[in-house]
Amino acid sequence: MKKLFRILFSMRSALILLGILVAACVAGSVIPQGKEASFYLTEYSQKAGGAILALGLDDVFHCPWFVVLTGFLCLNLLGCSLVRFPVLIRQTRSGFTPETFLKKGEELCDSTDPETLFAHCGFRRLYKGENEYGRYIYGVKNKAGIWGAWLCHLGILIVITGFGLGQMKQVQYAVYGVPGQTKQIGDTKYELSIDDFDVSLRDDATVEQYLASITMRDTKTGGEMSGQTSVNHPCTLFGLRCYQNSTGWAADAQIWKEDELIQEAVLCAGEYVNVEDKDGLSVMLSAFYPDYIQGEDGMPQTASPQMNNPAYLYRLYYQNELLGMNILKADEAITVDAYTIIFTDPRSYTLIQIKRDPFTPIAALGALIVMIALILAFYLRTAEAGAVQKEDGTWKVFGYSRKGGAEFAGMLKEKQKELERGSGQEAR
Amino acid sequence: MNSDQFLNIENVLFTIVMAGYLLSMILYVLFFVLKKEKPGKWAGMIAAASFVLHTAALIVRGIGAGRLPLTNQYEFATSFAWGICACYLVFLWKYRFRALGAFVMPVIFLVIGYAAMQSREVRELMPALRSNWLAIHVSSAIVSYGAFGVSFAVSLMFLIRRKMAGSSFWQEHIPEEKKLDLISYRAVSLGFMFLTFVMVSGAIWAEHAWGSYWSWDPKETWSLITWIIYAIYLHLRISKGWKGKSAAVFAVIGFVCVIFTYIGVNTLIPGIHSYA
Repeated sequence: MKKLFRILFSMRSALILLGILVAACVAGSVIPQGKEASFYLTEYSQKAGGAILALGLDDVFHCPWFVVLTGFLCLNLLGCSLVRFPVLIRQTRSGFTPETFLKKGEELCDSTDPETLFAHCGFRRLYKGENEYGRYIYGVKNKAGIWGAWLCHLGILIVITGFGLGQMKQVQYAVYGVPGQTKQIGDTKYELSIDDFDVSLRDDATVEQYLASITMRDTKTGGEMSGQTSVNHPCTLFGLRCYQNSTGWAADAQIWKEDELIQEAVLCAGEYVNVEDKDGLSVMLSAFYPDYIQGEDGMPQTASPQMNNPAYLYRLYYQNELLGMNILKADEAITVDAYTIIFTDPRSYTLIQIKRDPFTPIAALGALIVMIALILAFYLRTAEAGAVQKEDGTWKVFGYSRKGGAEFAGMLKEKQKELERGSGQEAR
Repeated sequence: MNSDQFLNIENVLFTIVMAGYLLSMILYVLFFVLKKEKPGKWAGMIAAASFVLHTAALIVRGIGAGRLPLTNQYEFATSFAWGICACYLVFLWKYRFRALGAFVMPVIFLVIGYAAMQSREVRELMPALRSNWLAIHVSSAIVSYGAFGVSFAVSLMFLIRRKMAGSSFWQEHIPEEKKLDLISYRAVSLGFMFLTFVMVSGAIWAEHAWGSYWSWDPKETWSLITWIIYAIYLHLRISKGWKGKSAAVFAVIGFVCVIFTYIGVNTLIPGIHSYA
């Protein structure tokens, strides 16, 4: 068991797991994800498509082996962190002593005034004493730096945990509609009213912002909260984050029988309405073109977002069979037997994405820890410096830095030279 | 002056900058081929002057466009080249060896050449890009990619130095392997830290704009791949003492990933980052 843990928590395992993770990510980015099985069998050869489906490469990031791989990576991170923790505690408490330092420190230069030298090198507090090496001066700086790598691992572990729990526990809904509509939010006790929706255009007709005013209502208590949501500026109502996700065209569909309006419905593009009076007859609003033109390929297009030549693309079904599809101008109507169908009042609908992920703050905390840890690891390099007095009264200077050894030694020597040059000039 | 005039000035400056980097690159080649100091000195001065003009070009474009010039392929590519040049000048100032430019300048020229092939049209920003996070996210990517570019150049230098062991000129102008290795490591550390920040800031922005801080979009996935490659490099280096040739080869592979994340993903794999 001990051996198994040793293998699982080892650096070698971590590197192997990271290597597999890289391979999985490459596959997940190169192979289109989340398509129908038939897509892989037709786009790739039968053999390759079959292999993609069998290995779960059609949905890499959600397939069981990827979850297990991430789990092992977390275990490895946890194990490494647990193993390293007491070592770092020990190192912080007692690892920095003149005795341990003088054994590992590299002899760098001689100095007549090591206190000034060390102060110039950023050592604030110096310890003086005497041991078997003789009289010594010793200092350590950036002790916190040794925690950088450990904290980084901890931060990554927190990020992955937060993300994983979020994937399991988050709730997500989509509500779409036009101003004036109220819809139930999934299986929650809330309903959402779209009070207003504005698409602000610039002079060149490009979209500047989509802004939706919404009200959320607690159907049990009757409590209400209102807010505005736009792209990049979500709002939070009853703890649910509301995002302005997307938009499209909607219109009112009116169904007339002879001169009587028998049915009315708001249709967003892609929606259909069943004619209640005639079983099996339904009409779908496929698309809307505010400035309709026929493209070079014969397909309908819009020349601009302005209402210069509004036209609807509709589909008519009877008993689930397509009766026909066509373009309908604003003043035109569809006539089927005794029924007349017209579309009026084209306007934008909004799609609001509603989400609650209680673990996002945990992932954010992990990310913050990683950032701080990287600064500690890369730019707060722990260094020790010491000097032992020689018989002639001068001092032998030692230095040690695990991560920036050569640079630190160079800096110490350079400062010593600078001090010597300075004192030489003063003497002259 | 109106915005068109500013953009015309930027066009002129961009052409001069590109010519400057090309000239600097040629002079650096001559520096090594002729084994003479003078072309090297001129190459360094022209590179520094081009960098100043490049900075001016970006500022002028920013004024002309009325926003930070970091939003389309052209703007990011020219900023990326600027980032590599800035990192190169910082490392040059810190470690003081001219030959670094001989290896960095071709990378800069390739990136700015890629920028020249992109459309320079200034377009209004789509709502998703109208965020303060854009500046933070993209500018940290420029520093990160710039530092990785320097580490790539230094690692190439390391690998070539070994092959040129007999040449006294090379020995004189290219620092010893230990120092090259250290510079490459420092550049990777800087790049890695900023790449982490790129991913964190991108995640915060994505949460605001798309409602999800991580959605396995190809750009996100390739950023993660690049991050893991460099994380493996740092682990092997710190824990296994992987230095020298192996580390240099790894740094080169890492930069290939950076380039793929930037150009390959945008052009070959569609995703929600397609405008980037």
